[in-house]
Amino acid sequence: MGLDVLVNAVVAIATSGSAIYVLLGVGLGLCFGVIPGLGGTTALALLIPITFAMEPLDAMYLAGGVMGATSFGGSITAILINTPGTAPNAATVFDGYPLARQGKAGLAIGASATASALGGVIGVLTLLVFIPIAKQMVLLFGPAEFFLLTLLGLTAIAVSAQGKLLRGLIAAAVGLLLSFVGVEAITGQLRYTGGSDYLWDGVGLVPTLTGMFAISQMIELALKGGSVAVPKEETRQLTGVWEGVLSVFRHWTVLFRGSLIGTIIGAIPGLGGTVASFLAYTSTVQASRNPDSFGHGNIVGVIAPESANNAKDGGALIPTVAFGIPGSAETAIFLGILVLHGIDPGPATLLNNEREIYGLIVALTLAAVGASAIGLLTARWLVLITFVNVNILVPVVIAVSLTGIYVLEGQPADVILCVVMGLLGYLMIRFDYPRLTLVIALVLGETAERSYHQTLMISDYQMWSFIMGRPIAVVLVAGIVLTLLLPILRKRAFGRTRREAASVPAKEPRP
Amino acid sequence: MRKWTGTSIVAAVAATATLAAMPAAAEWPNDKPITFVIPYSPGGGFDTIVRAFEPALEKALGAEVVPENIPGAGGTKGAASVYRSDPDGYTIGIFNIPGYTVSNVLGENLGFDLDKVTWIANLATSRYAVAVKADSPIGSIQDLCSLGRPAKMSDTGAKSTSSVATRISFAMIDCPIVNVTGYKGSNDAMIAVMRGEVDATLKPIASLKKYVDSGDLRLIVTYTDGPAVDGVPNSAELGYEDFSKFDLRRIIGAPPGLPDDIRERLSEAFLEAAASPEIQAWAKGAGVELEPVGASEAAAMMSRLSGFYAQFKDILVRQ
Repeated sequence: MGLDVLVNAVVAIATSGSAIYVLLGVGLGLCFGVIPGLGGTTALALLIPITFAMEPLDAMYLAGGVMGATSFGGSITAILINTPGTAPNAATVFDGYPLARQGKAGLAIGASATASALGGVIGVLTLLVFIPIAKQMVLLFGPAEFFLLTLLGLTAIAVSAQGKLLRGLIAAAVGLLLSFVGVEAITGQLRYTGGSDYLWDGVGLVPTLTGMFAISQMIELALKGGSVAVPKEETRQLTGVWEGVLSVFRHWTVLFRGSLIGTIIGAIPGLGGTVASFLAYTSTVQASRNPDSFGHGNIVGVIAPESANNAKDGGALIPTVAFGIPGSAETAIFLGILVLHGIDPGPATLLNNEREIYGLIVALTLAAVGASAIGLLTARWLVLITFVNVNILVPVVIAVSLTGIYVLEGQPADVILCVVMGLLGYLMIRFDYPRLTLVIALVLGETAERSYHQTLMISDYQMWSFIMGRPIAVVLVAGIVLTLLLPILRKRAFGRTRREAASVPAKEPRP
Repeated sequence: MRKWTGTSIVAAVAATATLAAMPAAAEWPNDKPITFVIPYSPGGGFDTIVRAFEPALEKALGAEVVPENIPGAGGTKGAASVYRSDPDGYTIGIFNIPGYTVSNVLGENLGFDLDKVTWIANLATSRYAVAVKADSPIGSIQDLCSLGRPAKMSDTGAKSTSSVATRISFAMIDCPIVNVTGYKGSNDAMIAVMRGEVDATLKPIASLKKYVDSGDLRLIVTYTDGPAVDGVPNSAELGYEDFSKFDLRRIIGAPPGLPDDIRERLSEAFLEAAASPEIQAWAKGAGVELEPVGASEAAAMMSRLSGFYAQFKDILVRQ
């Protein structure tokens, strides 16, 4: 195990014709990433029947290609039309879209491509470093730590909703309420399903997210008319891509923080890329000396989430190599592919299937870099989307998103949910409520509730003393306290300047 | 759109492969592809066994078989859609037993009548064992029941088959336990034992085996009538008679009213597929315990299971 295996894996992929599978995966991943409603999980799920006829290693290359490419693909849509292409790109819209509206889409795409590629590579390197102690790491995170992590995510909402704290909390409360719908995790009782079979599985994340962002944004655009960015000669000549690339190196601390958060959250089953990129974004806002510049086109706001959502793929493999359990939806399907080939994933997966695991790791790295390279090369044409008249853009995006939602599970009710969420999302835009806090609360609510109950049971209802006896849990408690106190302390320190900055109008003046 | 391309590629490959083997005269099953419903998302245990069986089944039937995932409503949506299909032999499905049996006993609305399903075959049966952490002082069920507090045992959901088996079997011997549920999958529930937050867990032997082999877990009893794992006592020899009746099945069903001849041919095809070297090799690698059983025996097994779980309605309702 170790370096020689990695070298062998690289040699194997370089010398066999199998690199074509990575390329195929990257192409598919980019397409599925760009289209709102479709994501890496969908792509992999649809690929499963095809991989059965393939060599396991080739299947891994294909899966790695898809996994590595989707989140960058999704960032393109997030930046250009304010609609995250996949769930983990939701935080990218905050600063990516304002940049596109200022005609600086090239800058944002350059930064996103570079952050994605480097984030992916950092995630994989972290994975390689941690492989020897992966098992101990996974064992350190129990229900108590899961609960505190979700709590940290929920408190971070307060940070993301700067300036409109109350509205952010209201949206989050709605998200939490929605997360209660369906089969309750501990007892298996049905709650708030109103007699509908569809709601047994709860309010689906992907239809909700697609509705909240894609559909509502299209309604908004359709009512406004025109195009996303105002066509001017100088913006048509795509500039700033290289500046975007360089900006990532200039903000290397943001890149590393984003990648680290991505890897850690990725390693925790059930939280996933949406939470990872959200936490990367909010922590960057918190650490910034100028938090009010976010939301108006701060390039750092693109780098943080995009490095996190690619790094999470490396992290998600940590529990996979340690115990054969998936860290993300994509790795779950990856393990499914292994089982399909007669391999039973478990703690010995890494020993018995070194070739496949390292093949996947190499493919993942190649894909992250390759997808970004393709992105950089095609950026100048992609940006033209922002100049397309909304009368053409809107129907296309709506049709494609709703089709994607239907394809995902073949459930017509998903499409209805997506449209309902689209209308709700539009109302939230109109009345200035943050939509992402609702989505994040919906993601976290289930894990928070489940792990809270589990912690109570395993600690014999002595939760506080149980938490205090666990080092990681104590660190997380400190993190939560800090997240809650930081804005207050900052307000004290910069009281005046902040108030002045907050009075700057939130919306860009139209040129 | 992509879904169609994917399926049609597979369909095309399958069609060419089966063209040669196609019998000359028969109508069924060559009118159209047979839909094989999986009531869960791709990647899980039910999905895997269906997709592994698909090529061997196509060969045995000389017809095209297309797996279709219809997840939702805890697996009952897919099962109900099989139930409501025409009983023409073109729709079959894999059923979660005893999961549905338990819901049925509890009087929950499954959306279909489990007693009327046409049973075709049982493919595999998993037996249970109780595992503790490898370095735990607990060495037997007696130890587990005399900790001075109720033993904690981890499970996925309170309605999962292993949770049901855990609660019923320990209630049978009047041993108090706390069933800590809510783990995301059976692997997570086993890792909870390794972390030490629970004392033990009851899981299929095949799932536990990999963690026993890696030195993380140790088995204290298998729920079987005879020796199942070397060096581990079985429930029968310890005097826990009924424990071996708890198991987990992969059983195939079709809509009510399926003609007998089609049922027989499907059943034979499944048995033939299960005996094929490809499936045998796959099952060995993937740790699946094949237990192929034909149509009439599968139906008898189903009514036996209903009777067995019905006795424990009180325990199940109590939660």
